[in-house]
Amino acid sequence: MSVATPHAIQQFAEQIQQANVDKQTIQITGNKSKIPLGTEDFNGEPVQELNISDYSGIIEYEPAELVVTVKAGTPLKELQAALAERNQMLAFEPPDYGNSTIGGTYAVGLTGPSKPFRGVLRDFILGVKLIDGQGRQLGFGGKMIKNVAGYDVSRMLAGSKGSMALVTEMSIKVIPLAQEVTYCIEMPENEAILLMNKMAGTALPMTGGAYYQGRFYYRVAGEHPAQTNRVGVRECTNDIWVTLNPFRPELQEGEKLWRVDVESTNPAIENTIAVGMGGTRRWVASPNKPNHPYVTLWQTKFAPRHNDTPHVQKIKLGLRDVFDPNHIFKQL
Amino acid sequence: MDVIEALKRALSEKNVLASVESCRPYECDGLSAYREKPLAVALPETVEQVKSVLRICKAHKVPVITRGSGTGLAGGTLPLKDGIVLGLSKLSEIIKVDPLQRTAVVQPGVRNISVSQAVEKYGLYYAPDPSSQIACSIGGNVAENSGGVHCLKYGLTVHNVLSVTVLNMDGEEMVFDEKDDGIDLLALLNGSEGLLGVIVEIKLKLLPKPEAAQLVMAAFRSVSDCADAVTSVLEQGIIPAGLEMMDQFSIIAAEEFAKVGYPVDAEALLLCEVDGSHDQVQTDAQRVADILTGKGAYQIIVSQSEQQRIDLWQGRKNAFPAVGRFSPDYYCMDGTIPRNKLAFVLDEINRLSDNYGLKVANVFHAGDGNLHPLILYDANKPGELELTEDFGTEILNLCVDVGGTITGEHGVGVEKLNSMCHQYNTPELEIFHGIKAVFDDTGLLNPGKAVPTLHRCAEVGQMHVHNNQLPHPHLERF
Repeated sequence: MSVATPHAIQQFAEQIQQANVDKQTIQITGNKSKIPLGTEDFNGEPVQELNISDYSGIIEYEPAELVVTVKAGTPLKELQAALAERNQMLAFEPPDYGNSTIGGTYAVGLTGPSKPFRGVLRDFILGVKLIDGQGRQLGFGGKMIKNVAGYDVSRMLAGSKGSMALVTEMSIKVIPLAQEVTYCIEMPENEAILLMNKMAGTALPMTGGAYYQGRFYYRVAGEHPAQTNRVGVRECTNDIWVTLNPFRPELQEGEKLWRVDVESTNPAIENTIAVGMGGTRRWVASPNKPNHPYVTLWQTKFAPRHNDTPHVQKIKLGLRDVFDPNHIFKQL
Repeated sequence: MDVIEALKRALSEKNVLASVESCRPYECDGLSAYREKPLAVALPETVEQVKSVLRICKAHKVPVITRGSGTGLAGGTLPLKDGIVLGLSKLSEIIKVDPLQRTAVVQPGVRNISVSQAVEKYGLYYAPDPSSQIACSIGGNVAENSGGVHCLKYGLTVHNVLSVTVLNMDGEEMVFDEKDDGIDLLALLNGSEGLLGVIVEIKLKLLPKPEAAQLVMAAFRSVSDCADAVTSVLEQGIIPAGLEMMDQFSIIAAEEFAKVGYPVDAEALLLCEVDGSHDQVQTDAQRVADILTGKGAYQIIVSQSEQQRIDLWQGRKNAFPAVGRFSPDYYCMDGTIPRNKLAFVLDEINRLSDNYGLKVANVFHAGDGNLHPLILYDANKPGELELTEDFGTEILNLCVDVGGTITGEHGVGVEKLNSMCHQYNTPELEIFHGIKAVFDDTGLLNPGKAVPTLHRCAEVGQMHVHNNQLPHPHLERF
C-alpha cells in the first residue's frame, strides 16, 4: 500500500527530525494571514519557521462522494472555487483573513455564521495526515463520513494551532452549494436574540442568525415560505455574512476586541458590537475583558484562554507529550 | 475488605450483583457470541456513587467496564472475569430541557428515544437514531459515536453533543465543552469506547422536527446501476435524510417478513427519503424520482401519505430479523467503503461467500458508504463461528483495501481488534495507547478493548502468513 512520499513531506519530516537533534523550536506557518494579529507570540524567542504554503493543491475530489482531500497549504479561495465549480461548498464557511490556507484555518478551528445550523469545522474533518514531533508520518481517520476505528485524532487536532503536529493534508466532507437569501428587520438586541432562537426551533431552513447595527439578520436556504409579508421584514443582500466573517471592526482608542462564546439565549452583553452564529457568538469592544467563561482576546487570537481546570490542563500537557515528546512545536 | 464488600458498603446491597445468576444478563452485550462472568456488577444511582465505585476499584486495582444498555454490537462491554461492570442504567434522568436554546442535559443512562419523546411537545427531536434507539443509552451512544440511518444529513453522535462531563479513575470530574479553546477533547471522547473516562452527563443539541418527509422506493436490475443512481442524486445537490440500499437476498427476506410490496425480482432496491419544509420536500421527491428513472430504475414508488412512507420503511427496518429467519445465527458486519467501490466489494463478498460456504445478505447505508453484510451461520456446528469470524475479517480487510474503514458505527470493541492491525500501523497504535495512558494511567478503564496491543498485531501479521488460517482455532481470541 506504500505510496511514494512527496518530496515536500520528506523535507518537512527531516526538518522536524533535525530540530529534535538541535533542540530547536519550530513554528509552523501558512500564509500568515492571521499572524499579524499575534506578532508578539511570534517574535519573542528564536524559532525556526516551517512554512507549508507551497504544499498546496487538491489531492482528490469526488463530488459524488461528498469528500475533498486537500494539502494543508491550499488557499481557501482556491479550494472554495474548485468546490463551487461542482456546485459544492465548505459547510463550515471559514473566515478568510486574506489568502488564508485550509491548514491555518484547521489549526485555529475557525467556523463561520452557519455554526449552530450546520456545525463547526471539526464536524466536517474525516481524516488527516500529519507528521508528529518525532518526524513520523502518520494518518488518522480517512475519507469516510462514518468511521469509528480508533480515537478521533483528526477531529481532536482541529484547533491545536500547530502545537502538537504538522498536519499536512486533510479530507473534508463537503455539501451542495446552498441557495441562500438574507432577510433583515430593525429591532432591539435582546428581542433579536430571542427571535433568532425562536426561529431556529422552527422548520424554517435557517443557516444564519445575527444582530448588527440595530438590525436582526437571518439567512434561509432553499425553498421556504414568504418572509417579507411580515411587518418590517425586508430582503437584503448576503453581504452581512461577509462583514461578520471575518469580523474586523474599526476600534476606538484603547478598545480591544473580545470574542465571547455563550449559550445562544444569553441576554445582550454590555459593549457588544455584533451578535453572530445564532446568538452563540458575541463580539465585544471594550478596554476590559468581559466577565464570561469563554472569552478570547481577538487581537491575539492564537493565545489560548488559559482557563482550563487543573485536570484538563494535565491532560492537554500529557497529550502534547504523546505527539511531541521533545516539545519541538511552538506553543501559542 | 474485598472489593465487593467495599462496593456494597458504598452503594447498597441490592445494587451490587455478584452471584452467577444475577450477573447473567451482564455477561455479554449485543455481540452475544462472547461471554464472561464479571467479578461483580455495580449499579450506582447517583454520580457520587459512580465516583465511589471508581475510587474503590482504583484502590483494589480492579478493572472497570462501563456499560449503558448493553446493546453494543462489537463486544465493547464484554466483562473481564476479574473486573467490575459499572452499569449506568439507573442514571436515567433528563436533567434539563431548554426548548428555546434547543438543548437537553441528560444522564448517561437515558435511552436515546426518550430524549426525542421528552422534547416532542416543543417540536424538537434528537437526531441520531441508531436502530437500537428504543433501548440504547445516550452514554453508550457517546462512547461509540453511534450513527443511524439519518447520518448523512444530520450527522453522528459527535455532531450532536455539545458538552460531556467525564470522571477519571480518581472520581474527579472534567467537563469538555464545544466552546473550549485549543484541541478538541469533546470530539476525542466521542467514540472512545469507555477507555478514557466514565461519562456521567451529556448536553445534547436538539433540532426542529422537519415539517414533512417523503420516501422514494426504486428497483434496479443491477447493483451498479443502483450505486450510479445514488451518485447522481448526490451530485445534483440533494442530500437525502435517509438513503438505504438492499441486495436481492435482503429484499426477498424483508418482503417475506414484512409484506410491504418490495419487488422480489430486483437485484437492488433503493429507499430514498427527503425531508424538510413542505415545498422543498415535494420538489426534491420529484427530482429524486426523475433522476432514478433516468438511471435505470424499472419501478418507482413515491409515498403519497405518511402511512405509506412508514409502511415502505418496514421492510428495511426489519431486514436483520427477516434475514435472521433463514439461519439459526447471523453475524452483522460494519465496514465502510467509498460508494464507487460498492459493486466491486459486493462481487468480492459473494465470491468469499462461495469460498466459505456461508450465505450473506447485504444492507447498505448508501449515502455514507456504511455496509452491513449479515453472514448466516450456525453456532451449534463446530467451527462455524470461527469460520464466520474469519470471513468477517476478510470482508473488513477488503473494506480497508478499497480505501474504507473496518467500522462505520458499531465500534471496535473486542470484535475488530485484529482488523485494527490491518487498518493502522504501529506508530498510530502507539499514539492511541499514549492517549489512553494520559487519560487513564491506571489502565483500569475497559482494558483490552478498542486498540490492539502491538504484540497482538505482530501475531496477527504472522497469522496472515499462514494463508489466514488462524493457529490454535480452539483458543479464545480476545
